[in-house]
Amino acid sequence: MMNFYSYKKKSYLASLILIALTIVIVFVKGLNLGIDFKGGLNFEVRTNLSNEQIFETFQEINTNREIIVKKEIGSDVHTIRIETGNDNASFIEEINQLIEDHPEMNVLISEYIEPTFSDELIKNSLYAMVSSLLVIAFYIWIRFDWQFAASGIFALLHDVFITVGFMSLFNIEFNLTMIAALLLIAGYSINDTIVLFDRLRSLTSDENNKDSFSNNVNNSIQLNLRRTILTSFTTILALICLVLLAPVNLTEMPIVFIFGVLIGTYSSLFLALSIVGDLNYEAVLKARDS
Amino acid sequence: MSFLKQWRFWLSLLLIGFCFYFIQPNFNSKNSDFKLNFGLDIQGGYSYLLELNENEFKQNLLIKTVQALESSYGLQSDISNNQIFISSDQNIDLLNNLTIQSLGFEIIERNDSGVLIGLLEQNFNQSLSEMTLNAVEIVRSRVDFLGNKELSLQKVGLNKILLEIPGNLDSNVKDVISKTAKLTLHLEKQTLVNSKVFFNEETGEEVRVQEIPNLTGDYIQDAALQYNQNEPVVSFSFNKEGSDLFAKMTSENVGSRFAIVLDGALITAPVIREAITGGSGQISGNFTNESANNLAIILKSGSLPTEIKIIQEKQVGPSLGREGVKKGIYASLIALIAITLFMIAYYKVSGLFTALTIISCLGLLFALMSLLNTTLTLPGVIGIVLTIGMCVDANVLVFERIRENYKNNLENPKADGFGSAYVTILDSNLTTLFAAIFLFAFGFGPIRGFSISLIIGIISSLIVTYIILKFFIDITSGKYLGLNK
Repeated sequence: MMNFYSYKKKSYLASLILIALTIVIVFVKGLNLGIDFKGGLNFEVRTNLSNEQIFETFQEINTNREIIVKKEIGSDVHTIRIETGNDNASFIEEINQLIEDHPEMNVLISEYIEPTFSDELIKNSLYAMVSSLLVIAFYIWIRFDWQFAASGIFALLHDVFITVGFMSLFNIEFNLTMIAALLLIAGYSINDTIVLFDRLRSLTSDENNKDSFSNNVNNSIQLNLRRTILTSFTTILALICLVLLAPVNLTEMPIVFIFGVLIGTYSSLFLALSIVGDLNYEAVLKARDS
Repeated sequence: MSFLKQWRFWLSLLLIGFCFYFIQPNFNSKNSDFKLNFGLDIQGGYSYLLELNENEFKQNLLIKTVQALESSYGLQSDISNNQIFISSDQNIDLLNNLTIQSLGFEIIERNDSGVLIGLLEQNFNQSLSEMTLNAVEIVRSRVDFLGNKELSLQKVGLNKILLEIPGNLDSNVKDVISKTAKLTLHLEKQTLVNSKVFFNEETGEEVRVQEIPNLTGDYIQDAALQYNQNEPVVSFSFNKEGSDLFAKMTSENVGSRFAIVLDGALITAPVIREAITGGSGQISGNFTNESANNLAIILKSGSLPTEIKIIQEKQVGPSLGREGVKKGIYASLIALIAITLFMIAYYKVSGLFTALTIISCLGLLFALMSLLNTTLTLPGVIGIVLTIGMCVDANVLVFERIRENYKNNLENPKADGFGSAYVTILDSNLTTLFAAIFLFAFGFGPIRGFSISLIIGIISSLIVTYIILKFFIDITSGKYLGLNK
């Protein structure tokens, strides 16, 4: 049988490398911020034109604003994103006129967000996420111990952060819906971690159990291994169905989830319990037993 | 029939009845209070997020306070940097903490030269919020007059209004909601003092008039689109008070001109030929049928307290909405079938129980969402997917614990296994539940849509696992469960 605890150093190193890579990728490539966080205009159009042709069409409007055209994978839907500038009201009129003049582009979705409002959205999303993180930490602290809270939150941030790096690497747009996706990964990650915490707690609180801490960690993982694999497998199975069948504007999200589930499974198996041990929980247990 | 003695059996029946009772109105054409709503991203439609100008409101409030200080206490004061300064060369003994607070202000500094007062933040936020509620009603009546039946309007934050209208875009909506519609009448004035020039961009007409309006649109009772020599015009009538003021103003100034100004732009500047006592008038200009009708609607609904700005607008074509829903439902169904088949293949009879548990979990989820009139959006669907995942996970946890107990030859493998697994499930689900509640409280738009279905989903999953799954396990012997290895 595999001894998970013995991979502690290697998995710490692997995670450090992944985190460092994420920092480099985000620093070099940046985040592909959508209009939710940057302000601007966004269109989804169905058309037979190519990206270049659409780009040409939009050049009819004399503007120095940045225009990005992107084709959605496996469909005839294109996303057009236009940066905001001054005098947005009249610019929107112009753009709407232009689209009306080109019936070969069938507009499915159009959206405009004022830059001042997108600043507010960023702040608002951060508040929401930080407050829910604090709640998670508090609950784990009450039900388990502070070492578990710290480790659980670390594993969660680890998973979400590396997923952000994944999104940056593949240029996946960052918007409010993607925040919901990252929250799903966070929820999945913490769920997975707590199941293992629970097992560790019940093993270490058993008075007849004279195993060493590292054996307890390993047993917690071993006893739950089938469950961890089954759950991850069924989740990924469901997500693959979504990737293959979901509406065009939703294909990226399940792909991000699949990555998140994989990294979340890794962090609960290889990181979460080891961190609890390294936060001196072993000493706490010894003090209690003697 | 031993299962008839189990309380879980009767509770399961009750639960299923509950689900049917609250889901069924969704398929009924009859109107019901309990219905699941679909967000614009699913059914198509358009939405505007409007923001009232906080600063303009603040300035108006400050000006009002300066006027109140003069009329109530006979004090002259100045506004600077959103604060009011009252100099001490007047009788300022009357101004104590109490009187200042009654104005909604607080004393910032008091020294030899005078008193500096500023707005109490709490008071200001409250009046800002009240103003927004007031504006919601004005916007509602404007959009109502255009004949949009199913609109949804809600106040967001302190000074924002979210307007959502399902269906196809009505370009008039944007026109009527974004105008403040401050109508003012000004008498012509030749001298430069306290006067102002307004002009009409289209006709080039311009006129110098009194800066302070002689009459405002606040007195307008009704307005309508009419035709004058086949040209569309807007007729309006004042209420009693407005009619009297209008009659006085026209009778005293026969022969001179007056300006009709809308949101700072001159509409027209007719000459008063005779006293107008009927209290009604007509605005003619370069109107189309549509623009005249829109103006009539705006005048009828009253002016907005401040300028309004559209900070977010979104249109989702109904075709995409429908297509998205269809594909989304297919995808979810196929995912569900795939999970179920896998669980049955792996756990045999228990897998079948999982399938039934997931179906009742979804049933309870939709029943509760209908009961609470929740709006389902695409991020909400993501929340449901997570719910199904957690429900499957709960099943797996229970089965694995029971299997482990059988392996270790424990005395009460099923009951103990379920018990210890349920503690784990509670811990992990409650953590997520609390996080979701906070996301709902602080989040906006998609984040809220996600968290509401997650909250309801976790609760449903906890309930059906405890009642229905446990019932199935109780009535089935270990050898059929396929767990006693």
